[in-house]
Amino acid sequence: MTDPLNDEFDQARLDAGLTHGDLWLRYFGLGGMSTALQVEAFCYGALSPSAHDHDVVAHALNERFVELGGNHPVAYTDN
Amino acid sequence: MPTTGDSLSGFEVRVSFAETQVVLGIRGEVDMMSAPDLAILLDAVITRGHQSVVLDLGELEFMDSQGLEVIASGARRVASIGGELTIRSPSAMVTRMLASAELFDTVRVEPRTPAHDGSRSDRLGPEQGIRTLAESIDFNASPPELLKRMAAIPAGHDVVDGGLRLVVALTQASIGGADGVSVSLQRHGQLTTVAATDQTILDMDARQYAAGEGPCVDASVEGHWFHAESLDHETRWPTFTPKAQRLGINAILSNPLVAENGPVGALNIYSRTAAVFSPKEQALASTFASEASILLQLGGVDVSDESTSERLGAALRNRHIIAQAEGVVMERDGISEEDAYTSMRVISQRDSRPLAERAADVVDSTRRIRAGLPAPKETSP
Repeated sequence: MTDPLNDEFDQARLDAGLTHGDLWLRYFGLGGMSTALQVEAFCYGALSPSAHDHDVVAHALNERFVELGGNHPVAYTDN
Repeated sequence: MPTTGDSLSGFEVRVSFAETQVVLGIRGEVDMMSAPDLAILLDAVITRGHQSVVLDLGELEFMDSQGLEVIASGARRVASIGGELTIRSPSAMVTRMLASAELFDTVRVEPRTPAHDGSRSDRLGPEQGIRTLAESIDFNASPPELLKRMAAIPAGHDVVDGGLRLVVALTQASIGGADGVSVSLQRHGQLTTVAATDQTILDMDARQYAAGEGPCVDASVEGHWFHAESLDHETRWPTFTPKAQRLGINAILSNPLVAENGPVGALNIYSRTAAVFSPKEQALASTFASEASILLQLGGVDVSDESTSERLGAALRNRHIIAQAEGVVMERDGISEEDAYTSMRVISQRDSRPLAERAADVVDSTRRIRAGLPAPKETSP
């Protein structure tokens, strides 16, 4: 079963110009506890992240968008 | 003489505790790459409330201005909790740097003694009679041997190894009662120690591998944690236990390191004091073990290039500052870990500032409040 939210992750990753490895490093730096392969699986929708993991991945992407002059386009679970 | 070798492998910190003192023995080079690691270790011991902190520079080979900044900021932080930072055995060059930065008023300097001018093996003292793994492996003389010993670690092993050594040092600095820490990994079906705080700990691990029993072996094979609360009452490992007691060890906590296909090793914490690891310490140890496990599973991340290794170091440091701030917010607001994280994340989002910066503010303001200093301008509601 894929999480429809997660399709947004991979599109956002591409829009942010991040490789899967880049995204994982950012996620890890924010305290994420899932492995690089798991985060890649979150992006493809092959694994469903917990709400907390979802928000950490979303924040990793959003911090990148802020660096690029954007806002926080990736939704958190409480949005 | 300063060299331009790999900073990650040329920098080691040995943490040791005397009665009221914590000593960070620094070996190798403190430069742009390694200064942040030193900063976070200093931070970890100061956060733990140590008021008497010693930086032993007897084996320092090189330090640049960033290292000096770490010393200056460490001295301020120790002073803010009513303590003192001592610089032990600085070289003439470092002494000049301390003087030109006008740090003599804020740090205590213990000059270089004749014992420090000899070779490393001539050095004496409680924390100096032990050698780190990195010292027991000669980095310069035999790179192929080093590579062989690190073979259990996937590509980018030097980077991963740097990360593991940081985890080992942080574990020792953060967990009360931890007299020594190591990481064991499976290699070709055999366990090997890839990072350890000192020679006694290397011996402890080696005795377990040889006996084929012990908490480290069991955690590595069975994939769950083993806690020997008091070796006086331990019956599970009859061959190994008396050997550990002879080395002065009384409590052991081993947490498994887990890769995609199951357990691959263990994070081992040793203490001379029985029953010293409380549930809080056990939870912290499990977090550090998870972190080491993740470092071993860098699948999909190319950590072979320099910029990625720098970013991995930065990521580790950010994690620790965020975890510290989480602890502060949990205690302050009486909320869960995830709620503490979310509250900081929401402020980071509102202010469009990185979460790690927000976390650093939280930790810094708590430190100031404890020291009775005015808090910086606070952005939280």
